[in-house]
Order: sequence, then C-alpha cells, then structure tokens
Amino acid sequence: MSLLVWRYSHFLLALISSLFLLIASITGGILAFEPITVSVQPYNVASLDEVSLNQAVLSLNKKYAEIIKIEVTEDDFVIASVITNEGEVNKIYIDPKTGENIGLVKKQKRFFSFITNLHRSLFLKTIGRVFVGIVSLLLCFIAVTGVFLLAKRQGGFKKWFKRVQDSDFNQRYHVILGRWLVLPIIIIAVTGVFLSIEKLSLLPKDYLDYSWNSKQSELVKNKSLSGFFETISLKEVRSLTFPFSKSKEDFYELSLNDRVLNIDQFSGRVIKESLYPFVKLAARWNLILHTGRGSILWSVVLFIASSSMLFFMFSGFSMAFKRIFKTKKPKKVLDENECEFIILVGSETGNTYTFAKYFYESLIKLGKKVFISSLNEYTRYEKAKYLIVLTATYGDGEAPSNARLFERKLKTIIPINKMNFSVLGFGSLMYPKYCQFAIDVDQLLDNNPKFKSIMPLYKINEESKNAFDSWTKSWAKTTGVNLSLEMTKPVKNKLKTTSFNIVEKKDLNLDNTFLLKLKSLKNIKFKSGDLLNIHPNEEGFIRQYSIGKIGEDLLLSIKKHNQGVCSLYLSELNVGQSFNASFKSNSNFHFPEKAHSIILISNGTGIAPFLGMINENKSQIPLCLFWGGRTKESLKLYEKYINGAISKKYLSHFQEALSQEDKKEYVQDVLIKNKNRVCETIKNNGVIMICGSLSMQHDVLDILEEISSKNLNQSLSEFENNGQLLLDCY
Amino acid sequence: MINRFKILVIAVSSSLLMYSFSNIEDTTNVKCMIQMTNYEGFGAYIIISLINPEGDYEDTLYVQGKDKEWYNELSKWWRFYGKIRNNIDAITGETVRGGERTVSMIKIPSDKIDKGYSVRFESSVEDQKYYTKDVQFELNSKNINTKIEGTGFIRYIRMISN
Repeated sequence: MSLLVWRYSHFLLALISSLFLLIASITGGILAFEPITVSVQPYNVASLDEVSLNQAVLSLNKKYAEIIKIEVTEDDFVIASVITNEGEVNKIYIDPKTGENIGLVKKQKRFFSFITNLHRSLFLKTIGRVFVGIVSLLLCFIAVTGVFLLAKRQGGFKKWFKRVQDSDFNQRYHVILGRWLVLPIIIIAVTGVFLSIEKLSLLPKDYLDYSWNSKQSELVKNKSLSGFFETISLKEVRSLTFPFSKSKEDFYELSLNDRVLNIDQFSGRVIKESLYPFVKLAARWNLILHTGRGSILWSVVLFIASSSMLFFMFSGFSMAFKRIFKTKKPKKVLDENECEFIILVGSETGNTYTFAKYFYESLIKLGKKVFISSLNEYTRYEKAKYLIVLTATYGDGEAPSNARLFERKLKTIIPINKMNFSVLGFGSLMYPKYCQFAIDVDQLLDNNPKFKSIMPLYKINEESKNAFDSWTKSWAKTTGVNLSLEMTKPVKNKLKTTSFNIVEKKDLNLDNTFLLKLKSLKNIKFKSGDLLNIHPNEEGFIRQYSIGKIGEDLLLSIKKHNQGVCSLYLSELNVGQSFNASFKSNSNFHFPEKAHSIILISNGTGIAPFLGMINENKSQIPLCLFWGGRTKESLKLYEKYINGAISKKYLSHFQEALSQEDKKEYVQDVLIKNKNRVCETIKNNGVIMICGSLSMQHDVLDILEEISSKNLNQSLSEFENNGQLLLDCY
Repeated sequence: MINRFKILVIAVSSSLLMYSFSNIEDTTNVKCMIQMTNYEGFGAYIIISLINPEGDYEDTLYVQGKDKEWYNELSKWWRFYGKIRNNIDAITGETVRGGERTVSMIKIPSDKIDKGYSVRFESSVEDQKYYTKDVQFELNSKNINTKIEGTGFIRYIRMISN
C-alpha cells in the first residue's frame, strides 16, 4: 500500500508544480554561473588572515579623504566604499595591504538580474514569490517521496548504492542520477523555501540582540583604537562601518562572523557587543547554500542539480505515461464470469502486461473466451478452467503494487470449479530474489486444493521474448490449445539499416551450422558482443545474432533451421552478395578489458562473439574458453580462430565438451572439473561471460551458484551485482 | 563709439555667462546617512529629490533601490521622473531594510541653497505604505549639517556638507 502512496504523491506533486519547476530549474541552472563569474575575478590578492584590520584601515586612510565602509565578501575580496579627494563616492575592490584600488564593483549584470527576477518571482512581484515558495515546498515533498520510492526499489536504505538493474534508459538514469542528486536537490528546495519565507517576512524578527553585557565590557579595555584593530585579522571581519562624523555619539560598527561590536571612535573601547540571533546566521548560510556564493565547486553542484531536474521531469513523466499506457486493458472486455481462460498479471512497470497482452490476443484470435486483469482484482470466476499468472517481482522479493492483495483474496475467495494453473515469473537474474514473488504465487496456488498445477513454474530473465515464446509453446502442448504468438509488431523504418557484404562463407557442417564473415559498407563502430538485427522480409520479423569482431569484419555463426526464416535466407546468400541489417549496441556484453581474469562459457553458435574476443585480448589477460558442442566435426568450423588466439598467447586455455562423442559430456561438466579455476576467477574480481542457449545458461548458472555458495560461501547474485557475470543467451 | 560700447556689452555679458555656467557646475557635496526604523518586510525604496520654491520636483538627487520595475510604485515622484527618465545610474544605491542604515553622497547645486528650495525623502516598501514626505526640509546651510527625524520608514537622517 505504502508504495502506491509514495508513487502517486510523487507523481501528482510533480505534475502540479511542473511548469513552475521547469522555469525555476532552467533559470536556476543559469544563475549557478553568476557566483562563478564573480569568484573568478582576480581580486583575491592577499591572504586575509595575514592582514590586520588596522593595516587595511591605515592604508585606506592614506589614499582617500574618507572611508564609509569596508566589507569582506565570501570570495575573500575586500570592498571599500570611500570618498575620494574629489568628493566622489566609490565602491571599489582594494588590495587590503596597500589600499590600492584594483577594480570598480560593478552592478549585477543586466542579464543575471533579469534571470534572478524570473527565478524568484516570475515577474509577478509578491504573488510570484508566493508561487515560487510553494513550488519549492512541493519540490521538497517530491524529493522526499522520491527517496522513499528509491529505497523501496533498491530493497532498503542500506542498498541505496546497489547497482541499478533497469535496462530502460529513462528508468535507469532516473534512479542512478536520483540517488546522487537527491541530496543537493533537497538542499536547494529547503533553502528556497526558507528564502521565500524570509523575503515574505514570515520569519521571527531578526534584529540584533542588543542585550548589553556590562561585565564583558569591563574585560575589553583596549589601549587604543588602532591597538584593538591590530588584534583582528580581516579573515574574521564581515564589515566595518565607519562613524558618520566626529561627534561623540558616532561609533565604529564592526561585524564579525557571529557578532556585532560598537566601538568608541576615540578610545577604541567596545561600547556594545551583540551576538547575531540564530535566525540571522541561518539566513546567511541559507543564502550561501542556495546561491553557491563564494564556492565554485558548490556552484557547479547546484548547476548539475538544476539541470538534472529537467531530465528528472522528462524521464519521470515518460515513465508515468508509459505505465498508464501499457497497463490499459484491451477495449472489448468479456464478462469475467463467462470466461474460460483467466490471465492475471502482477506488473510494476507495465512490461509484464505487454507480454500478458500478447498471450491474451492470441487466445482471443482462437475465439476463446479470455479475461485479463491484475492479481489484485482476483475474484470468483464462475466458468474459469485455466488460470495463467504472469508476474514480476518488486524490490526485495515483494509483490508488485497491483498484486499485493492477491494472497489475502486467494484465502477468502474459493473458486467454483477446479482450475488448471500455470505461473510465469518475470525477473532479472541480477536480483538475489529472482522471481521470488512468482515462486510464492506458485506455492500458494499449489497448496490450494481448488487449483491444479499443469506446468512447473517457469522463470523469464530480462524479458526474453524467446523464453516467453518457448513457454507458450509448451503451454499450448500441455493444454492442447493450439495458439501462436505474434509478438513483434512491425517496426518498419524504425531501425536504421546498413548494407553488409559477405566476404567469406564456411559451408554447412554436420550440425547444419555455418559461418559468415561480413563487411559493412558503411563505416560503423562495433565491438564483439554487439548484435546484428536481420529482417529478411517485410513483415517485421527480426532475428538477432551476436557479433564476433575479426579485424574490421563481422563474424556470425548461424545454425540453419528448416523452419527458420532468417537462417534459411542467410544460408542461401553467397560470397559477394550483400543484404540489409541493422546494428544494435550491446554494451552489457563487451569484452571486460580491465578484468583480472576471464572465463568464457558457450555452446553451439553462442561461440561467435567469443571468437572475436579471444582475438582482441592484446593485453593477455588470463583468458579461458569453454565450449559445448555435439561432435569434433562441429568444432572444426571454429578451430582456425581458436588456434590463432592460442598461438598469439591471447587465449590461455581452451576446453571443449562434446555431447555425442568422447566422454559425452556437457559444458557444465567441464565447469565442475575446472572448479578451482572458476573459484579463483570469481574471488579475484574476474569476469565470467556466458553466451548460448537458455537451457545451457540455466544449467551453468546452477553449477556456478553451487560452486560459489559451497566454496566461497557467497551467493552468486553478489558477484553478478558486481558485474562479474555477463549473460547473452537466447 | 557705438562699436566700442558693443564690444563692452559682449565682453561683459559673455563673462557673466561664463560665470553663471561655472556656477551651475558648482555643487555642494553632502554626506547623508539614512537610519531606518525597525520595520519588518522588504527593503525600502527611497527617493531624494530637489523641490523648487513652487513645491514642484526640480531634480532627482539620489535613489535607493535598483529595480526599475518598482519605480512606478512611488507614484508622486514617478509622475515627474517617468516623463524624463534621465540616466540615474550614478546616483542609485541599494534598498535599505528595517533597522539598517546607509550612507551616500548627495550633490546639491550650490546656487539652490538658501533660495527657498527644499529636499524631500519619500519612501515605499512593497505591500506596505508609501510615504510621500517621509522627510522634507528647507534647503539651507544650517539644515544640511544637522539631524532630522523621519515620519515614516526613516527614523532620522543626518547630513554633513563638505
């Protein structure tokens, strides 16, 4: 429940204040430069703790007819208001040692005063100030609700700086930037509120506390005025106002960092000493924090925070609209009590809903009566026979927000007919509690006599469409409902295609596998591990292949399937011919050039990116390649590249696992044999990369989990979170 | 004879003219301190003007307050200044807040002293009052070396002429 509260208040507050916030953050970003333009001026000529107030006063007295005031700024510039011998009042920067005029104090630049005005009152005078104050207050709330949302998402405040797993750009950087910049943003907002309150004079009185302490005055018996000024360094001084006239009633007013002294101009005696009230000191700090005055570094932080607000607004709204759009239910909704198939969804970001809708659409196409809803809306479905649950997991193994009522409802609502259920979990292997909520739901249903499991729980990593497709197929097989999915909507003209020319083709071997070496006709930058999207026909069907980079060429390993549109198309092309494909960067699966040691694990055509990587290891990082295939013959296709890497000493170890010959073993068996090597790699911050089929990935991950928990006493997900485990399976 | 007379007239009148010009240039510098009352709220805009014997604005001597958008709030003065809008950047200072004091140098044309002119201080604070005659006194050599109590946001002003 609390998650929803945080999310809706975060969103609503942002919506209401967005326009004002937009203006305030743009102008704020510009204004951050003002203190910088002031600070970089060359008026900081003497170190102030070495100059006494007396020295400054004496040197000024020599040069000017009269002095009105001396001020020391946050940038340690000394400003004097003086009357020249010609009777002009000048406000100048001085060298405090010599009293030399080193520059006139200029008025705030017209541009900045315009922007300042817009920033603090939107040109609306008092009403504008009130608006801006309220918006600052809303920004505080937005930031605070954001803190709670972020803590929820990361699985607690302790995991605040845990690696961020989201692959969606907006979501990912909303989190990454948010956790760093939330503090400066809160500071900006709070100080902004405070400034508005101060300007609107809602603060308690800030007059000096003139409580006169007579005892103290007895103590301060200065011999002379200059003697007293000699004891004070300019560093302590904020300002010194000179007596207006030689009259006895006029005195020096000396402002130090925390107090104001009134000093008799003849005897140098302190007549009055008053401490600044707290409100006044706070106001000073507040102003410095909000404007960045006196610190270039803090000004830069303020600039970054202000401009990041633009990104937060953009990414926040696009996330919110995406969620609203994706979770929209299909238009024609059948009555829930009429339906035979019930699809229930637990989704946080709306991505799981997208999959559920594919499934829903394909059942509808078959003329089935299907009902789709969220797990929260679970009720008694009178004619239901099949229950399909698709659910994500939120944070640390918790239910997504639209599924948290399910457990309670399941206990109280007893279905009429016995239902056949199957649960599909969506998640990311990066999280220690991978698909935990799906596991819980599967258990709950299994323990309920009214539900019968027809398939074991199936987990899908990183929204793999292939995995979803294969689960759908086995569901269809089990239930006899012959459905076919249509997942990829036509993406015409969306991807930029480039022409690729075939420069080499290794013919089909026993396994129906072949190698293609391609040259891009355009100059594109790519790395081994990137992907090539191939769309052989107009219908928008796309197949992705992992690229190995050999020199400047692309190497693909392709298995020809008799029904595979793509592989058939590619197998019919010959050297010299070219075709169009689009290129997709896959930065999560690039060669980790800074790792201490690396293990590459692959089977079948999954070896392709690794063939590139082993030939790129110029710094000779200890590198080991395991490959699983069917026969020795299968290996021949790749031998040239492997042997090349070994002879260059780029590849330190290669071992194959053949499932049809020799010892008839799988790649995971080889892993067990190389347990020590695996342990060493994980322990010494090495990296393990896996590329190949999903089933191989599952088995390999099981083995790795076993090795790390038995031998290293740590869960594999910890290493995964460190970025030590990279996956690219299909 | 007539020619000689003409030359004399020209010489006398031109020297008179010269004298009067230099007279216009001649100003008296008055150091002026404004001490504000302990009012709450924004900084006060204060206009110091020279008022002629007929009681009309003659010139603007000093302006405390830099944001021109607020000038029209001091409506009485604005009716005079708004029409001419001469450059007053050199005689403009910061607004003054409650309890604060400020010192500025005012240049008064020497030939206006003791001639029935007066000096007016009007003050205005955003969302608060506008005092059209916070301080007004006759411009004579005694007054410009004295202390005068204010009636609005100004507690008192003190002046010393150089």
